[in-house]
Amino acid sequence: MSDLRNPIGSATEKRTLVEEGTTFKGSLTSTCPIFVKGGVEGDIQAPSLTVASSGTVSGKVKAGELKSEGALAGEFDVEKVQLSGSVKDNTVIRAKSLEVKLTTSGSKMQVVFGECELEVGDQPVREKAADKAHENGKSVPPPAES
Amino acid sequence: MAELTADAVVSKVKRGEKIDRADLSGINLANATLEGASFRRCDMVGANLEGAKLRNANLKSANLCEAFLSGADLRDANLDNADLEGANLQRTLLAGANLSRANLEGANLQGANLSGARLTHAQLDLANLGGADVAGAVLTHADLGECYLGAVKMMKAELTNANLNDSNLEDGDFTGATLADAQMRGIKARGAKLVGAVLAKADLGKANLTNADLTNADLRNATLTDAKLEGANLTGAKVFGLTAKGAQLSGIKADWLDNSPNADGSVRVQAAQVQAVLAGEAIVPPARESTRSANHRYFGRGDVLRNASLQFDEGATVEIESLFESCTIALGRGTELLIGPDGVLAGCQITGAGNITVNGKFFEATGGKKNGPAIVGAHQLVVSSTGAMIGAVQQPQELTRFAFEPGCQLRLKITTSKDGSGNGNGAKGGKR
Repeated sequence: MSDLRNPIGSATEKRTLVEEGTTFKGSLTSTCPIFVKGGVEGDIQAPSLTVASSGTVSGKVKAGELKSEGALAGEFDVEKVQLSGSVKDNTVIRAKSLEVKLTTSGSKMQVVFGECELEVGDQPVREKAADKAHENGKSVPPPAES
Repeated sequence: MAELTADAVVSKVKRGEKIDRADLSGINLANATLEGASFRRCDMVGANLEGAKLRNANLKSANLCEAFLSGADLRDANLDNADLEGANLQRTLLAGANLSRANLEGANLQGANLSGARLTHAQLDLANLGGADVAGAVLTHADLGECYLGAVKMMKAELTNANLNDSNLEDGDFTGATLADAQMRGIKARGAKLVGAVLAKADLGKANLTNADLTNADLRNATLTDAKLEGANLTGAKVFGLTAKGAQLSGIKADWLDNSPNADGSVRVQAAQVQAVLAGEAIVPPARESTRSANHRYFGRGDVLRNASLQFDEGATVEIESLFESCTIALGRGTELLIGPDGVLAGCQITGAGNITVNGKFFEATGGKKNGPAIVGAHQLVVSSTGAMIGAVQQPQELTRFAFEPGCQLRLKITTSKDGSGNGNGAKGGKR
């Protein structure tokens, strides 16, 4: 997620920045994208939330987009999530789309998950028709090599 | 000045006489009927042969520098070793012609038909082949450096060992072409179609392949150093030994890659790992040829397995396209378990330090059947864009490596191992 270095675009674009060394406690609502390099403890509502590797967000978050390299804890209701960093215990992430990449170096982990819940996309449904097809054997035979 | 008039040439051809080694420079033979004529070693510099009918003509070693051959019919003609430097061959019919060792440097072949032509060792540097039909032509060892090949049709052309350095291939169609060992450094191939093309050992360093279609292309041992691949489609590409250091890989499309040495699909790279593998930052274990079949288990579509206990040892690869119900699966360390797009695991439990990839569906047991987390102790869990999963995942002490692709459907509860000293991630930050 290299785009986190400049996640909002140009420096002149409006954004709410919580700088490294700053901890914000309370409720934060913004119509601008929020960029957290420090810490936020409380509720956040914004079109997008970006958490840098030095950032931590703990609380209830409602956002269109969430990109995080930092630490997340609490309840997150978002449309689209791109995750690295860590997800702390007792965290719930609800999203339409989630992206977590496998790490590209050694055995290091892209995301460290604590005890948490992920609710992503539509509720998976078991299609009975597909099961029946399995049972009837009306299907493509396996490749010869197997 | 030509030593023969145009009429004299036409008469001689009619009589079946050869005109070999004649000086015909600057002659005007536009639209003349010269089929099967022999002009071997003739000097035809600057000749006007526009629309001439030269089918099956013998122009071996003829000098046609700067000649005007636009719209001429040279089908099946012999132009072996002919000099066509700077010649105008726009819309010329050259299908089946022999242009081996011909010099076409800077020639204009725009819209020409070269299908099935032989151009081995031909010199085509700086030539314009925009929109030309070169399908099925043989261009092995040909020099196409700095050539314009925009929108060229090179389907199934043979270009082994050809030089295409710095050429422009934008929107060209190279479907099924063979470009093994080709020099393709710095090519501009935006939007080029290279579906199923053989690019083994080709040098594509600094190539611009933005939005190119490389589906099922053979890129084994090819070089893509510093290449641009944004938006390129590499699904099913064979990438064993590929070097892509410094390549721009963001936005590439690839549902999977084939990383097997023999391009037999035995080592598949799933979408979540594609970028890392191409960048050389993740290693996919190579297939062990002698043991692969023995260690590979496949459960095909149509099979149903119920209440079974399965154990797969270290090093095994297991592919499930079947329906598994209420089964327990024990995986050895590093065992690969792939739930294919048609695979359904319902009420099953997977234990052990294996690597699990879910392209299909996984549903944990419900109600009274529930017996602990659905997945326990996995080393890696990948849920692809087609994957769906409901269940609890209990991580081992060293934690599970997770990857999720956009499009996946999850109802996951992730827990950590209760024994041991925890994972250092236990900050209770939630507000639940």
